Amino acid sequence: MDIVVLVKQIPDPEALVTVGGDGTSLTIEPKFAMNIFDAFAVEEALQIKALHTRGKVKVIALGNGKAMEVLRTGIAMGADEALLLDDEAFLDGDGYANAFVLSRAIAREHFDIILCGRQAIDDDRGEVGQMVAQFLGLPHIGGIVKLAVDEGRAVAEVAVEGGKETIETPLPALFTAEKGLNEPRVPLITGVMKAMRAPIARLTAADLGLAPEQTGRQGAKVKTLQYSLPKKKPAVQIIPGEPHEAAIEAVRILMEVEKLF
Amino acid sequence: MDKILVFVEANGEEPRKVSLELLSEGLKLAETGHFCVEAVFLGKLPAAVREKVLHYTEKLIHVTDPALEDYTAEGYAIAMAGCARETGAKLILGGATQRGRDFLPRVAVLLQTGIASDVTMANWDKTPLTFIRPMYGGRVLAELTFSTCPAIVTVRPNSFAMGAPRAQRGESIEIRADISSELVRTSVIKTEKTASRKVDLTEAELIVAGGRGLKAAENFHLLEELAQTVGATVGATRSVVDARWRDQTDQIGKSGKTVSPKFYLGAGISGAIHHIMGMDTSKVVLAVNNDPNAIIFKYANYGIVGDLFEVLPAMTEELKKRLRKQTDPH
Repeated sequence: MDIVVLVKQIPDPEALVTVGGDGTSLTIEPKFAMNIFDAFAVEEALQIKALHTRGKVKVIALGNGKAMEVLRTGIAMGADEALLLDDEAFLDGDGYANAFVLSRAIAREHFDIILCGRQAIDDDRGEVGQMVAQFLGLPHIGGIVKLAVDEGRAVAEVAVEGGKETIETPLPALFTAEKGLNEPRVPLITGVMKAMRAPIARLTAADLGLAPEQTGRQGAKVKTLQYSLPKKKPAVQIIPGEPHEAAIEAVRILMEVEKLF
Repeated sequence: MDKILVFVEANGEEPRKVSLELLSEGLKLAETGHFCVEAVFLGKLPAAVREKVLHYTEKLIHVTDPALEDYTAEGYAIAMAGCARETGAKLILGGATQRGRDFLPRVAVLLQTGIASDVTMANWDKTPLTFIRPMYGGRVLAELTFSTCPAIVTVRPNSFAMGAPRAQRGESIEIRADISSELVRTSVIKTEKTASRKVDLTEAELIVAGGRGLKAAENFHLLEELAQTVGATVGATRSVVDARWRDQTDQIGKSGKTVSPKFYLGAGISGAIHHIMGMDTSKVVLAVNNDPNAIIFKYANYGIVGDLFEVLPAMTEELKKRLRKQTDPH
């Protein structure tokens, strides 16, 4: 059971993000982390591997050198191999361009399952997994909270509004991980040390036979014209008084001023 | 004239509110004379849904096929892409719902075009059209445009206003998608309903949410009662969900749901960035917290520094009194 896991290095959620002077770029404080949803994907891959005697887990990231760290985290957790898609030409892509590059790299691997997070919490797009599946001509199940894998098929559970669905698919297939799928393990020190020494393969656009127009900013179908900051909210109006008084005044404001109910 | 297709979803016997928001926007656009807007529904279409939708659009295209019996991303993607090709659509709009966000990216690949997900604003008067979407948990806004056609856009619920239905009834046509079964490989083997929630948090206009300050799972009844009084939906923070006081589907925040209601009440919530990222586009925010330094006050329009165990019941009481007076002025 060979598993490919797509991971993304994202700015730490607490990192400061500001808009560059002319609105065409972002300045982001250099604190990074593995996308939380990808951690669920890595963990699930490791749990599946533990249940099947043969197979390997390979983590793949698209990004520049910094993305090495998230791959090392994957290895520290227990992944067998890591691959970095490392090329300036890959940067600033939209979901389409990124999914296209990733799918080309994955197509070179043997795999039964592809796992990734349902969304990256930096760009919040939530597109790449589904698009990779379509590029590779594979079925996908999005937002899984449970996965059971057998030879040639898998059954997943997806939480839907007020309930859940159980969905079956033949393999190979792609699954995007939702919170609740598992609890990602904390790497042991032995894993961290192994990860520090682990060789990480790298592929460039040329290695994948891709032209610059197909990847990154040039290959993006959706272009970013400019960035801006949301309108600043005015300072909070604290409603004074004892809890009871404040509550009554709050209701008055919500009904008479804001006309909410 | 540019053709716009609006993907319409139903929740049981009702069209989804976000679909009606998009169709309402569509009616306004059709009036400008620059756009022609058609609704698309895939799979089983309840009569009540068809009837409602026909009063929000000039034309409803109902696509049927055995492969569309249940929702599958593959089946819906093939059907939608086919519809877009046949109609020469310049833009496909869908609600940024679980389903819309799940299958529309596949449509983008099928049509070799781009997708903008969870957009909160559209600049209809610009050529080419541009769309605004939040990034980094809402801390930055990006203005996007497409270099390919059709543009595919999913729109966050509560971004467009839902208008009143028209008296006129649009026309309804049915087309067979003709999807060969080997192209749809996933199958739904079981559907279980665990709770009946009337309104999904992401579509709710009124939300009351609770955090650790509620102290125990049972205390959420204070929020449930307030919610019931005004027809709000109850949400929760990650710490409360992790403590298993509330279900994962109630979670608002970075690894939960992003909501955009008219009104958001946060009680016993400190305002950690993970949570704020999920509700920062709420129009009116009231925070109730014992701690005057709680971060949530920085993101609120109104705040009460006080004990929620006294504030919430007092608010519920006052709301009941006033709402009763509204319906029965004698």
